[in-house]
Amino acid sequence: MVIVQRKSLSLAERLYLPEVLRGLSITFKKIFQPAITRQYPEEPLPTTEVTRGQPRLVVKDDGNIACVSCGLCEAACPAYAITIDGQETDRFIEREPERFDIDMLRCILCGFCEEACPKDAIFMSNELELADYSRSGLVYDMEKLKRPASALKGRMDYIKRINDRWQTSSST
Amino acid sequence: MTDLILLLIKASVIYGGLLGCAALMTLAERKVSAWMQYRIGPNRVGPFGLLQPLADGVKFIFKEDVTPDGANPWMFRLAPLMAAVPAMMTVAVVPFAGDVTLFGYDFGPLSIADLDIGILFVLAIGGLGVYGVILGGWASNSKYSLLGGLRASAQMISYELSLILIVLSIVAMTGSLDLREIVAAQTGTFLGVLPDWNVFQQPVAFVLFVIATFAETNRLPFDFAECEPELVGGFHTEYSSMKFALFFLGEYCAMIVMACLTTVLFLGGAEVPYWADAPWFLQLPAFMVKAGFFCFLFIWVRWTLPRFRFDQLMHLGWKVFLPVALVNLFLTGLLISF
Repeated sequence: MVIVQRKSLSLAERLYLPEVLRGLSITFKKIFQPAITRQYPEEPLPTTEVTRGQPRLVVKDDGNIACVSCGLCEAACPAYAITIDGQETDRFIEREPERFDIDMLRCILCGFCEEACPKDAIFMSNELELADYSRSGLVYDMEKLKRPASALKGRMDYIKRINDRWQTSSST
Repeated sequence: MTDLILLLIKASVIYGGLLGCAALMTLAERKVSAWMQYRIGPNRVGPFGLLQPLADGVKFIFKEDVTPDGANPWMFRLAPLMAAVPAMMTVAVVPFAGDVTLFGYDFGPLSIADLDIGILFVLAIGGLGVYGVILGGWASNSKYSLLGGLRASAQMISYELSLILIVLSIVAMTGSLDLREIVAAQTGTFLGVLPDWNVFQQPVAFVLFVIATFAETNRLPFDFAECEPELVGGFHTEYSSMKFALFFLGEYCAMIVMACLTTVLFLGGAEVPYWADAPWFLQLPAFMVKAGFFCFLFIWVRWTLPRFRFDQLMHLGWKVFLPVALVNLFLTGLLISF
């Protein structure tokens, strides 16, 4: 059994008013403390290359999409969010997607597609906002997913660095 | 005829000011609470969120107006009015400033009615406000509302008693119930340096009065009529839309009136310190600064102190406030007679 020793209150504490004034002085001081609020739409969250936002397709500097519609990301996707239809092309790579849809309502931003891709064609961007008036509007087609390589450069370099490290450590 | 027009002008100016201040108070409440919690507060509507009360008003008007099943419809409609109107009525006797001369025309003193029983009028009409609360609680046909209303009435009766006893000691010192006379009695200096305000002559009464006003206006350490954690929303649980807004309008108006009354009774009303004959355009800001401080105090205390327990409130009211107020009145009486 534990007997809790209650501290007996001093006269000032029992009178209550001095303590009230002390409390008031504390809250008054806090008024002048700068706010820690982030004004969200105007001040977006800072992101780094580690941020795993929504997946985006890389458009190379020559204006062509890097994807060869091999379907690996589609297979890797645990949420079945990706749908790809391929077609032939006269370019050296011979295949390109005719249709590349990602259902953003299904996407869980796991980054498996990025990991699976053999052609460095899909990367997790730092775009986090997702809003629309209809469900169908959130199934992003190729036009909505295309991003120039320069916009995804930070993430691409980061992934390359990680992959290099992985390959070095596994070979030894 | 000109008297009537003059009165109408004064009434519309003062009531417009009161309602404007009440709207500003709702904004100030949110802003000050935000600052105390390191937040920014409403800042989307207008510059610094200054048009927020307007947006709130529009929202209130367009909300669905629900009357619960089993509620007494007439009483249910009457209650918000009963809560709002007395609070607004009491402002009629508050002397905001001395004689107003504008464009070379003398408008007379800046108050709607200079009753010679001013303070009695405030207490009598102000005491009616509780009927709105208890009627709203009863007419809603909800146990939470009823409990809130009952608590409000018990609380108001307990504290009104001490409030009146405190006011009585001021009245005894002045020898008049007229608010203007009470203000006039506070001109000059006290002990040579301080302004001759009742706050220096009656410090105990001042502290008691300020605390009692919190209980009287149902403000936070004593807001048992609402008491969200226990009673959902207290007496206004079942109210929505503009009826709900009216309750709050009444509450904020009551706060402003109480702030004005404290200023008049204890801080020399519209008097500019050390300058008894100041023109009205200096007296009015002086009044507003003093009353504004008490308005701020209402908000400040609300975001500082937790709510009391109901039995603590009753204990404080009957076992502390009443005896101290009585002793204070007795000592004041002794002081006057010798």
